[in-house]
This record gives sequence, structure tokens and C-alpha cells, in this order.
Amino acid sequence: MGAMIEVRGLTKSYGGKRGIADVSFSVEAGEVFGFLGPNGAGKTTTIRILLALLRADSGSAGIAGHDCWEQSLTVKKLIGYVPGEPALDPNLTGGQLLEYFANLRGGVDRTYLKGLVDRFELDLGRKFRQYSSGNKRKVVLIQAFMHRPEVLILDEPTSGLDPLNQQEFDHLVRETRDEGRTVFLSSHILSEVEHTCTRVGIIREGRIVRVGGVEEIKDIKRYEITISFAEVVPPEAFAGLPGVAAVASIDSGRELRLSMNGAADAVVKAAAQHRVVGLTSHEPSLEETFLRYYEGEPEGAAN
Amino acid sequence: MLLTSVYLKTLRDARVAIAGWGLGIGLMLYTVLIAYQDVIATPAAREALATVAKQFSWLAAPLAVDTAGGYALFKYGPLVLLLALWPLLACSRILRGEEETGALDVLLSVPRGRVRVAVEKLAAVGTALLLIALVVGLITYAGGAKAGADFTLGDSLALGLDLALFAAVMGALSLFISQFARERRTATGIAGGLFLLFVVLDMVHRVYSGAEWISRLSPVYYFNESKPLVPSYGTSVSGLAVLFGLTVVLTAAALALFVRRDVGGTVPLPITLGDDEKAAGEIPHSWALRSVYARTLARAAWPTFWWTLGIAGFAGWLVAIVKQLEDQINSLAQSTPVLAQMLTKVGGGGTSLGTALLSSLFTFLPLMLMAFAITQSNRWTSDEDEGRLELVLATPQQRPRVMLASYAAVVTSMLIIAVTTLAVTLTVAALAGVPLDAGRLVAAALTMIPLGLLVAALGYFLSGWLRTAIDTGLLSLVVVAWFVISFVGPELSWPDVTLRASPFYYYGTPLVHGVQAGDIVGLLAAVAVVLALGVLRFSRKDVSI
Repeated sequence: MGAMIEVRGLTKSYGGKRGIADVSFSVEAGEVFGFLGPNGAGKTTTIRILLALLRADSGSAGIAGHDCWEQSLTVKKLIGYVPGEPALDPNLTGGQLLEYFANLRGGVDRTYLKGLVDRFELDLGRKFRQYSSGNKRKVVLIQAFMHRPEVLILDEPTSGLDPLNQQEFDHLVRETRDEGRTVFLSSHILSEVEHTCTRVGIIREGRIVRVGGVEEIKDIKRYEITISFAEVVPPEAFAGLPGVAAVASIDSGRELRLSMNGAADAVVKAAAQHRVVGLTSHEPSLEETFLRYYEGEPEGAAN
Repeated sequence: MLLTSVYLKTLRDARVAIAGWGLGIGLMLYTVLIAYQDVIATPAAREALATVAKQFSWLAAPLAVDTAGGYALFKYGPLVLLLALWPLLACSRILRGEEETGALDVLLSVPRGRVRVAVEKLAAVGTALLLIALVVGLITYAGGAKAGADFTLGDSLALGLDLALFAAVMGALSLFISQFARERRTATGIAGGLFLLFVVLDMVHRVYSGAEWISRLSPVYYFNESKPLVPSYGTSVSGLAVLFGLTVVLTAAALALFVRRDVGGTVPLPITLGDDEKAAGEIPHSWALRSVYARTLARAAWPTFWWTLGIAGFAGWLVAIVKQLEDQINSLAQSTPVLAQMLTKVGGGGTSLGTALLSSLFTFLPLMLMAFAITQSNRWTSDEDEGRLELVLATPQQRPRVMLASYAAVVTSMLIIAVTTLAVTLTVAALAGVPLDAGRLVAAALTMIPLGLLVAALGYFLSGWLRTAIDTGLLSLVVVAWFVISFVGPELSWPDVTLRASPFYYYGTPLVHGVQAGDIVGLLAAVAVVLALGVLRFSRKDVSI
């Protein structure tokens, strides 16, 4: 299948302030793509360019082969959108809002819509301004999914949802993926991305620093090996071995903690030269990997 | 520095209003004051002015109109009271408005008591009103000095204080009502309606003798007890005290209710102010939700109703009273030719002086329609500012279509207002036996639409660059400037090129001279150009929160 979302060299600045710079990635049809980044990294700017709410200074953004700005109408027929900060007419009820957006989209399957309302247990009779933040989020989620769009662009979609509704959302995303539709999900909740996405892009300070499969992203992470010996072993015995980034001696030298960024083969062979009483390997979560990226590791260091 | 306390933050939020309202009201008075010498150029003109003022005593007390200060107060009458609109809006916003947006939840989470937060906000509104009063007083004094008026700086500052106190009463009333209403707009609407009622109640005692007790129910009566610009009349301390007392009582009552109720809740009443809390829990079918046009029109339904009531009611009232005035004016005009010339200058002249009089009063109708247009273009701008267009633009709707659909709804509302106004005036004219040319009445009612369209188009156009407050403020300033040019310009014999800068010039005097097709086509062409530029801008701009 070809790329459903294609972004090339996208740049946008707000006067003198940074927006995004030279952002490139592609999302295949049927893929659930996670777009990760801290606050202010440029996630929403990228999304708003895909929605033709912002016009890029340079570069291109296309969905299903259509330019997002020049052919915005065609693009918008294909997408469902959840904004990061839902702002809707505060005086309309949830039901009225869904009816309004259904009409603006030329009508929707009302049975499917009713099913979505039931799944999220949304009370349609309250006005938008009277909803809790979680219920406001449900309204915008339902309006994004209700017309079964080919592409879903979701900006922090589960913010404010309780665990049960987050679970329901995960199911909905999986169903969407299983139907061959595409999901572009911006988030900073790693577990959400880890569970639902097939590929991930990380953006930091307006630039893409990594794009790859979730497993591939995990591959770049460092891990730790802790080895307990029967006798004191000097750290120098392991320092400089292939795959070893750092060695720390603890417990008076009977235990060594190795920070790894490569294969453990050389370490295992070196450890076999001594009496090993224990060996544990700790694999950091994607969360830790993600945080390390945000802590200023040079771009592409892990590539 | 301006963000170090709730008081300073609220005052900072009011800085545009302080400058806008202070300069706006001040310059209105300044312009009339400097025009005064031209109006009373001869003794005959002075006499004519005093005579015609008596005919308009129902609108404003004709007190010493042959003096600069008396003339200025009479000329604007209740118009200066429009200042009350700002505290009326501000006081419903500072508590109820912030409760609606959730901003008050955050503010009340800091270690400050509710009373202190509310008092700081109200103190800022009060300070802003005093600053507006100061600006109005200083500009008025400058106008008086230029016109050689006999009032002092203290007198002009007393006028500012009188105005500020009246405005404070309306603000306190709005604050009080907002304790019972679920929505800010409900409180604003009710307080606005009461404001109009107070203006009318004050008029009663000038029309019917022995009905002064009715007028005493209105704060406007106490405002009018002071005429600081007329030194022989002076400032009424008791009038100011009543206004101050009303402000204190209403504010204290509102605060007492506020500290006892839930944040976001209301003080229970036997009837519900505003919409019901809960509607039917199902997905509805409604024509009002079918398109951007239908939704915008439905949202404007209540404002359109109230504005129609105001504009059509005012037009009907004018037609009804003109019959009573016509005979007196005709006889006066025969004995005082300058009066005839004056009415001719303002109303456009014609075979009937009554018609000329009506024509001059009809100038207020397009002004009111333009004010309506400002409120509606304000909604468009605030929708964009507050991010409500984001999801609409994420649906398969072209940007030009979205904007034009919204504009078309405003046009529809204005058509409803104009056509209703026409129907009311025709009916009243028939019932009262006023011999008006039906064709010209049709022209007067319908040709005000292009003026409203122009203001709305300008508002949509400016929204391409400006935030809501600045867009609305600038648009209001432009309309006031246009009105002053047409209202005072002829008296000052301003050059034709200046008079032509105001769209009111092209509205002309349709009741007397009928429609000048070229002028209307020109206005519509201007509307088309401004709207096209607005659409072009909206199609290319970044839509942001």
C-alpha cells in the first residue's frame, strides 16, 4: 500500500518564533502512526498544517495524494479530526453538536453514530459548556469517528478520558486499523502509543529526531546489565568492551552495573572469566527512551 | 506590574475600553461644543434652537440650549448614557462569564477569598469608570474652552462623574442579575432591556405631567438631575448620592449572593433565567443544524428579535409622534424661517416640515442597524479567536463558503429587521393618519440595509487581522466617526469631501428625496469589495486559537 500521509520538508514559523523546521515523514495506509513530542515541540503545528488550518512556509503535506492546502476540500472529506483543545458552541447540546457536524459532512450512518454514543456512554442532553472535560473529549472523539473516515488525525485524543473510556478508545483505534483505515495519533502518553501504534515519529524543538517502528524505537534505547560476582572485579575489565557505554562499581566491587547501547556478547564472554553469582538485565520502557530524547541527546545519535 | 494582583489584571483588561469609551464619548461632546457657535450664529437662530428644543423635550430636557453646555447635553440626550453598555457587559463577564469558561475555578484556587477576588475585580471596573469620567471631563472642558462656554473644569469633571455613576448602577445591576442567570448573555440581555426601559421611564414625566413618580423609578432620572455643563442648574448632590447608593446596594447584594452560592451555580428562583439545564438526550433533527448558514441564523434569532423590537418600535414611535408635532412645527416654521432652514439642513428639506423632521430622526435607524451589524460581526471574530471555527473548517466546507454563509445569515437578520420596521411604520402611519409617501418609506426602511451590510463586511474583513476586542472597538469607533461627520458636519459646514466620507451621506434623506440609485449602488459596490477582500484574507490566513 502507498503512503496515505506524506510530509516533506515542512517548515512553519510564527513571525520570529519557531514552529517546525524541515519536518518529513510518511504514514502508510492502514497504519497507526504515533507522533510523539513534549509540549511545544511542534506536534499541533504539524497537525494544523495537515488540516489546512495553517499554511506552511515551505515543504509539502499531502493526504492520499492530495495537497493539504491546495486540495483541502478533498482532503477534509477523507479525514476525521480531534483537536487538542476542543472548542465548540457552548450552548449546543452534545446531540445537537453531533447532528450539526454530521450535516456539515453530508450525513452519517445514524446507527453507527448511535453505537459510538452508546460505547462511550455519552449523555447527549447536556450542553457542551456543562460537560466535564472527559465528556467534552467524548463529543469530539465521536464526531471524528462517526463518518468512518479514511484517515483519523487525533491530537492528544485521550486527554481527560477515564481508564475505561481510554480502553474503549484503544479498541476503536484497533478496529479502525483492522478495517484498513489510517490513524495519525499525536500523544505524549507512551503507553498509549506503545499499545496502539505500529510506527512512531518523535519530534523535538520543531524537528523530527526519529521515525521508526515501535520495536525499532525500542532498539535505540540503552539497557542495563547488573552482574554480581563472588569476588571483587575491577570495572576496567568491562570498560571499553563493545556495546558498553559505562561501568559503575557497587557493593565494594562485587557488583558491576553496565550501561549498554549495543550487543551483550562481549560482556557475557568477559563475565565468564569470573565466578558469576547473579546477572540481571533491565530493559527501560519506551517512556525512559522518550525522556532521554527530550533531555537533549543529539539528533540522530541513535540512528 | 499589571499582573501582580486581580485588581491590576482586571484594570489591564479594561485599558482598551478606558481609551475607547473615554475618547469616544469625550469627542462626541467636544464636536458638538465646537459646533455650537455656528448653530447660534444669529439671534434668530438662537431663538429657533430654543423653540425646536421644546418640541423634543420628550427626548431630552431642553435646558439652557442657547448655552454651549446646555446645547451639548440636549443634542445628545440619552445617547451619552451608552457608556453604561461597557460596565453592563464587563460586570456580567467578571464573575458569570469567567464561571462559564472555567477561569474563575482557577482563580479561586489561589489563596484568596471569594469576596476579595470579587471586590478586586469590581474595584478595577470602578477605577476604569473613573478614568473614563476623567477623560470625558477633560475633553469636554477642552471643547467648552474652545467654544467659549461658561462652565469650568470642575463642571465638566462633574459631568464625567455623573455619567460614571449612572454607568456603575447599570454595571451593578448586571452583576446582580448574573447571580440568578446560568449564562452571562442572559444577564446582559435582561440588564440591557432594563437599561432601555429606564430611558423610556425617564421620558414619561416630560410627556405627561404628574407622572414624575414613574420617572423616579429610573436611575436615568437621577442622572438628569445634574446638569453640570449648565452652571445656572448645576450638579445635584442628592442625584449623585442616589446613583452611588444604588450602586453600593446592588453590588453588596450581588456579593452576598455570590459568596453563598456554588461557583458555576445560580441563586434559585421560581423561574429559570435562560435556557433549561438539560435537553432531550437524543440526536435531534433540526433545520437550525443543517448548515453554517442555518446555525448562524438560529444563533442570531434572539438578538434579531430584540433588535427588531427596538428598531421597529423606535421607527413606529417616531411616526406616531410626528403627527402631534407637525402642526406646531409648521406654525413655528412660518414665524421662524431659521427653524425651517435648520430642519432642512438636518432632515433634507421638503414640502412638509413634519416629513423633514421625521427624516432627520430616521437617521438613527441605520445607526441602530449598524450597531446590530457590529454585534454580529463580533460573534464571527470571537468564534475564530476562541477556536470554534477549527472543527467546522475540518469538515469538507470551503473557507470562503463558511465565511459567506455566516455573513449571509447576518444579511438575513438585517432584512428581517428592515422589513419589519417597514411594516410597522406603514401600519402606524396608516393608523395615525400620517400622510407619508409609501414609496419613500419603503426606501427609507430598505436603504438602511446597505449601511448595515457595509459595517458587517468591514467587521468580517478586519477579523482577518484583529482580535475580537480590537476589531469591535475599531469598528465602533469608525461608526461613531461616520455618525459624527453626518450629525455635526452640516452644522459646521464641513467640506463636501468630508461629508462624503460617511456612508450616512449616501443614505441621504430617503423620506424626503427618495432613493438616489447611484448612491445605493455605490454603497453596495463598496460592500462587495470589502467582503471580497475579507473572504480573500480568510481563505489564505492561518486559523489559530
